[in-house]
Amino acid sequence: MRKSKILAMALVSVLTISSLTGCGGNPNNNTNPTTNQTTTSGGSNSETTSGSSETTTSDNSSTPKAPVVDNGGEPIKDLVMTQSQGSHECETLNWLYTQTGSTSEVLTNLVDGLLSCDVYGNLVPAIATEWGTEDGGLTWTFKLRNDVTWVDVNGNKMADCTAQDFITGLEWVLNAAKNDANNTSMPIDLISGAKEYYDYTKSLPTEEAMALDTTKFLEIVGVEAPDDYTLIYHCITEKPYFDSVATYNCLYPVSAAMIEQITPQGFKEVSNDQLWYNGCYRLTSFIYNNEKVMEKNESYWDKDCTLFDSVTVKMVEGSDVSYQLYQAGEIDAVGLNESQFSTIYNDPNHEYYNNLVETYPSKYAYVVHFNYNKRKDDGTDDTNWNTAISNEAFRQAWYYGLDFTEYMARSNPLNPNKQTLDTFTGRGLCFTSDGTDYTTLVTDLLDHGSTDRSDGQGKAARLNAEKFAEAKAQAMAELTEQGVTFPVQADYFILSGSQTSLDAAEVLKKVFSQCFGDDFIQLNIRTYVSNLTQEVRNPRLQSFFINGWGADYADPQNYLGQMVYPGDNAFYAQYYENVPDASADVQAVFEEFTGLVEEADKITDDLDKRYAAFAEAEAFMINHALFVPVFNQINFKVTRINHFSTINAPFGIQPNKYKNWETSTVAYTADDYAAFEAAYEAGRPTD
Amino acid sequence: MNNMNQTQNNEDELFEFTEYSAENAERIGYSDYSYWKSVLQNFFKKKAAVTLLVIFFLVLIFSFVALKIAKYDITMEPDSSKAFISPNSEFWFGTDNLGRDYWSRVWFSSQISIKLAALVAIGECIVGVTIGCVWGYVRKLDRWFTEVYNIINNIPTIIYMTLVALMIGQSFIIMAITLIAFGWLPMARNVRNLVMMYRDREYNLASRCLGTPLHRILIKNILPYLLSVIILRLSLSIPSTIALESTLSYLGLGLDINTPSLGILLRNARGYFLDYPYLLVFPALIVSLITVTFYLVGNAFSDAADPRNHV
Amino acid sequence: MLKYTIKRLLQSLVTVLIVVTIVFLLMRMLPIDYYFTEEQLMKFTEEQKQEQLLQAGLLDPLPKQLFNFYRQLITKFSLGDSRRIQSGVAVTKVIATRMGISMRLGVISLGISLVLGVLLGIAQTRFKDKFVDGIGTAYIIFVNSVPSLVSYSLVLVFGSRVLGLPPLYSTRNPVSITLPIVCLSMGSIAGYALWTRRYMVDEINKDYIKLARAKGLTTKQIMIRHVLRNAFVPLAQYLPASFLLTIGGSLLVERFFSVPGMGALMTDAIARYDTNVVQGCVALYASLGILGVFLGDVLMMLIDPRIKLTGNGGTR
Repeated sequence: MRKSKILAMALVSVLTISSLTGCGGNPNNNTNPTTNQTTTSGGSNSETTSGSSETTTSDNSSTPKAPVVDNGGEPIKDLVMTQSQGSHECETLNWLYTQTGSTSEVLTNLVDGLLSCDVYGNLVPAIATEWGTEDGGLTWTFKLRNDVTWVDVNGNKMADCTAQDFITGLEWVLNAAKNDANNTSMPIDLISGAKEYYDYTKSLPTEEAMALDTTKFLEIVGVEAPDDYTLIYHCITEKPYFDSVATYNCLYPVSAAMIEQITPQGFKEVSNDQLWYNGCYRLTSFIYNNEKVMEKNESYWDKDCTLFDSVTVKMVEGSDVSYQLYQAGEIDAVGLNESQFSTIYNDPNHEYYNNLVETYPSKYAYVVHFNYNKRKDDGTDDTNWNTAISNEAFRQAWYYGLDFTEYMARSNPLNPNKQTLDTFTGRGLCFTSDGTDYTTLVTDLLDHGSTDRSDGQGKAARLNAEKFAEAKAQAMAELTEQGVTFPVQADYFILSGSQTSLDAAEVLKKVFSQCFGDDFIQLNIRTYVSNLTQEVRNPRLQSFFINGWGADYADPQNYLGQMVYPGDNAFYAQYYENVPDASADVQAVFEEFTGLVEEADKITDDLDKRYAAFAEAEAFMINHALFVPVFNQINFKVTRINHFSTINAPFGIQPNKYKNWETSTVAYTADDYAAFEAAYEAGRPTD
Repeated sequence: MNNMNQTQNNEDELFEFTEYSAENAERIGYSDYSYWKSVLQNFFKKKAAVTLLVIFFLVLIFSFVALKIAKYDITMEPDSSKAFISPNSEFWFGTDNLGRDYWSRVWFSSQISIKLAALVAIGECIVGVTIGCVWGYVRKLDRWFTEVYNIINNIPTIIYMTLVALMIGQSFIIMAITLIAFGWLPMARNVRNLVMMYRDREYNLASRCLGTPLHRILIKNILPYLLSVIILRLSLSIPSTIALESTLSYLGLGLDINTPSLGILLRNARGYFLDYPYLLVFPALIVSLITVTFYLVGNAFSDAADPRNHV
Repeated sequence: MLKYTIKRLLQSLVTVLIVVTIVFLLMRMLPIDYYFTEEQLMKFTEEQKQEQLLQAGLLDPLPKQLFNFYRQLITKFSLGDSRRIQSGVAVTKVIATRMGISMRLGVISLGISLVLGVLLGIAQTRFKDKFVDGIGTAYIIFVNSVPSLVSYSLVLVFGSRVLGLPPLYSTRNPVSITLPIVCLSMGSIAGYALWTRRYMVDEINKDYIKLARAKGLTTKQIMIRHVLRNAFVPLAQYLPASFLLTIGGSLLVERFFSVPGMGALMTDAIARYDTNVVQGCVALYASLGILGVFLGDVLMMLIDPRIKLTGNGGTR
C-alpha cells in the first residue's frame, strides 16, 4: 500500500472557495458549500517508480471498518437525508457527462468503476480485482470481476458488466458529439490516441458522430480488451499514478446494450427509469428539487458490504426546514445553525443536549492568500496595497497579529481554537515512520512551535504581541517612506445575499480592527453577485482570500505544489502569476520556495527524508509570511450516522457512497463520537 | 353683457340698481364647494386612519430620535459573547446573532425601508399615471403602449435585476430606480383600463365637441375619477416594495450590504425566530405599522377623494 | 371581431418574438465565464472552456446564434437542450415536466381564492364599516403587511409543528399540497377581496344604484344584479392572465416546500446561465402573459358592452 500512495500522487484537488459558512449554511450531510474540484497536475513524480514494476493485488477487499459503538439503537434500514436545493441538485444522470460534485454525490451510488476508496482515501478494488503496470506506468492492466451485472430500475438483471462496457464508456467520453467535451481532459492527457479520436469525432457531422460504435475508437485509442474480464490501457508516457484515475467517472463503464436500447441521444438525456445500474443502489424515483429515492441493488457484486434498504434524499430550502424534519424524526442527520446550537447548548435539559457532536475537521485547510498585484475597480493598479503587501514586515504583522479566534467561533462557538491550523498543510495528512504527524515536523522548525491542543482552547501558536508590535512599527516606518498611506485598505469579497458570509465578514472586520488597530489596516467588505472568478479574481480586485484546500493524496507535495511559482499545474498559480509585475522581492521568495519544493519532491526513496525536506520548504514559506494559516473547520451536528465510517476521499466521485455506513436509530452522543474518532485514528494505516 | 343692457333699457322700472358688492361679485355657483377641502374634510372624519397617520409620523420622527438615544451605534462591532440576548434594559430590543444591538439596527433599517418605499411609490405613481392616462385615452397610441408594456412586463424582473446587479452594481439609488423602472407598469395598466372606461362617457364626448384640449380632459375630467384607485395602488405599493426588496435580498439581488433594510432583518430572522421570537417581532411590528397605516390611510383617502362621496 | 382577433394575435406573436430576442441578447451580454461553475473555471484551461462553448454553439457570431435559435424553433419546434439544469434534456421537456405540477397547485389556489376573495369582498361591501368589514380589512392588512418571506415561514412552522401537516411537498402524499396551497391562496384571497370591495363601493355610490333602490329592489338584488356585475368588470380583466400564469408557479412557495414546479426554474436557470432554459421560460411566460391580457380584454368586453376594443365605436 505504501507504494501506491506515492503512485497515487498527483491528480485532483479539492478546493473550497473561501466563505466560511459555519453552522448556518446548508443543512445536511455536507455542511459547507464546498465545491469539489478536480484538476490534473502533471507527472512531476514520474521518476518515482521508473524501472520498478509491481502489481498491486489487494486481498483486503472489504473496507476497514471502525468498531461499532453500541448506543442501544439498531442500524438504520431506510436512510433519509436532506440536501439544499438549487445548486445542490443533480444536473444529469449520465455519469460520463457530469463534472460537478453535487451530481457525482448521487451518481456514485448508482455505478461502480474499476477502483474505489476506503475510509482513509486509499485505493481499494471495486470492479477490478487486480491491477498494475509492468513497465513503469506505460501500460496498465486491470483484471475485472466476472460477477458484476447491470440491472434495470426494477432490479432485473439485464446484462453482465464486462470490459466492453468500459470501452463503450470511454468512447462516449471522447466522442465530441456525445459528451460535448465533458470529462475529456484526463483521458486526453493520459491515454494514447484519445486526443486523435476526440478530434476525429469533432470533424464529423453531429449525426454521424452520434452513430459511431467502438470499431474506429479501438483502432485509434490505446485501450484493449483481450477478453471480457481484462482491460488494458496504453498511456502516452509513463503515468505511474494512472490507477487513481480509475476512480474517476471519465473511465466509468456504461452498458452498450442499454445505449442500444435507448439510443445515444436517449442516453444523453437519460431518466432514472431507463438507466441500467451496476452500483449499490437503483434510483427508483427522481423528482427534481424535491426527492430522490434509491433502493438497494440486490444484485450488487459486493455481497459483504452493508447497504441501506433505501436512501431518500429530500431537497430542502434551508437549515430550519431540515431541523424541523429532524425533530419530526423524518431525517437522520442535521447540521445546526447558530440559534439552534445556542438553544440546545444553553439548556442541559434539551432533548439533544447530549447529541451535539463535532464533525471531524473539514478536509479543507483554510489559509489567507494575498494578492500581490491588486487592481482597483477602474483597472489601475492599487499601488498602495501592492507596495504594502510586498513588504515582509507588513505580512509578518498579519502572521503574528491576526487572531482568528472570534472568526472561528462562527463555525464552532464552543471550541473555536480546536480548529486552529498552524501550517499550510492540514493535520493528519501523513506520518513519518515513527508516527509523527508531518505538520509537527514543520512546527518544530518554527520558533513558536505548535498550538496546544490539550483542551481545545489554546490560541494559535503564531500569535505574538511583541513581534506583532515590532513588525507593525517596522512596516509602518518602511512603508511610509515608500509613500504608502495608512490605514491600508484591504478589500475582502463575499457573495452578495449570503447572510452567513456577511456575518463572518463582519466578525472578520472586527478582528482586523482589534488585532491591527484602525491606524494600520482597514477591512472593506465588498460583494460579488454570482461568480467569484469572473467578477473578482480575473479583474484582481481582492486584497486577499480565505481559501480552503483539501488533500487529494497523502503527500505534502499535494499542498505545497499548489503554491509553487512559476508552476503550470499549481492551483494557486493564477493568484501569483502576476507577482513579477508587482514585486521582485516577493518573486525571489516564491522562486526560492519553489526550488525547495522541487528538491523535496525529488526525494522518493526515503519518505522520512522527503517529509523533512517538504517541512523545510513549508517553514520557509511561513517564515516569509507568504500566507496566514486559519483553520480546519469543525461543525456541530445532531446525527445518527457515524461520519468516520464514510469514504473520506475527496477525489473522484467516490465520496458520499452510502456503503458500509455505520448508523444507529438512536442519535449518537459526543462520547460515541469521541470513541469513533479514536478508533478511526487508531485504524489509520501508518506504513 | 349686451342682453343685460337691453333688459336694463327696456324694463327699467321693474328693476332697481343694487350697490356694488365685491363679495357678491365673487360669489359663484351654488355652493362654496372646493374639491380638495371636501377631500380633507371627509378624510379627517376617518378617525382610525388619521390616528395611524399621526402614529406613523411620530414613529418616523422617533426613528431619528431612537438612533440618537440608542446606547449602541449601528456600527457596533459584533461580539459573539453577547449574541441572542433577549430585550432588557441594556439592549432594548435585544441583540442579534452577532451580538449587535438590535434597537439601532431596527430603527436604522426602518428609515432605509421607508425611504426606499416612499421613493419608489412616488416614482411609480408619477410615471404610471402619466403614461396610463395617455395610453388609455389616445387610441392610436394604445397599440404601441400595449406593445411596450408587453415587452417590459414579459421580461421577468429577475433577469433585469440580475443584469443590473452584475453590470451596474448594487446600491440604494440603483435599487430605487430599477424598482420604479419596472414598477410603473401595473399602475399604468390600471389607469389605462379606467381611462378606457371613462373616455367615451357622454360628458367627455361633450367636452371633446367643445374642443377641450386633451390634457385638460385628462386632468380635469378623468383624473378625479381615477384618484381613488391611484391612491389605493400607491398605498399598496409601499408594503409590496418592502416585500419585494426582501425577496430580492433573499436572492442576493437586493440592496448593498452596508444598507440594512427591514426586509433583510426579516429574512435573517427567519432562521432564528423559533428560538428567539423577538428577532422577528420587532421588525415585523414596524413593517406592519407602515403597512397598516398606508393601507388605512390609502383607503380612507381614496374614499374621501371620490367626488361622489362629497355632498 | 374575427379580423381584430387575428390581427391582435399576430401582433402578440411579434411581441413574443421581440421579447425572446431581447432576452436572448441580454443573456449574451454577459461575459462567457458565467457559463461555467466556479469549480469548472478553476479547473478548466482556456482551451477547454472554448471547446465546450464551441460544442454548445455559444461562440458563433450573435446573428448566427439567433438564426440557429429561430431555425430550430421553426423547423423542429425545439428550444434547444438544457445545459446545466438537466443536462442534455430538451428545454420543452424540462418545462413540460414542471408545468403540470405548478399549474395544479395554481389552479386549485386560484379557484379557492377567487371564491373566497370575492365572497369576502361582497360581504365587506354589504356590511361596510361593520364588524365583517373590519375582520376582512384586518385580514387583508395582515397578509399585506407581513412580507411573504416571513408569512410563508410562519405557515410552514405552524402547519408542520402545530397541525402536523407534512412540511415538504411529496408526490406520494396528496395532503402535502395543503401548506403550499394555503400560502398561495393567502395573498390572492386578500387581493380579490380588496379589489372587489373597492370597485363595489365605487359602484354603490353611482346614480343608477340610487335609482334601483328607488325602484324598490332589495339590497340583495341590487348587490348581485347591479353592483357585483359592474364591479366585476375591472376584475375580469385580470382573470385569464392569472389563470394562465399559474403555470409559472411561485418562486418562494416552491422553494420553501420543495415543490418541483416552474417557480424556481427560471431563477435557477439564470443563476446557472442555462440560456436555453431561460429563453424557453421567457417565451412561455411572454406568450401566456400576452394571451392573458388579450383574453382579459375580450372577457371585459363581453361582460360590459359599453367597452369597445375595436376602433369603430369611439372617436380619436
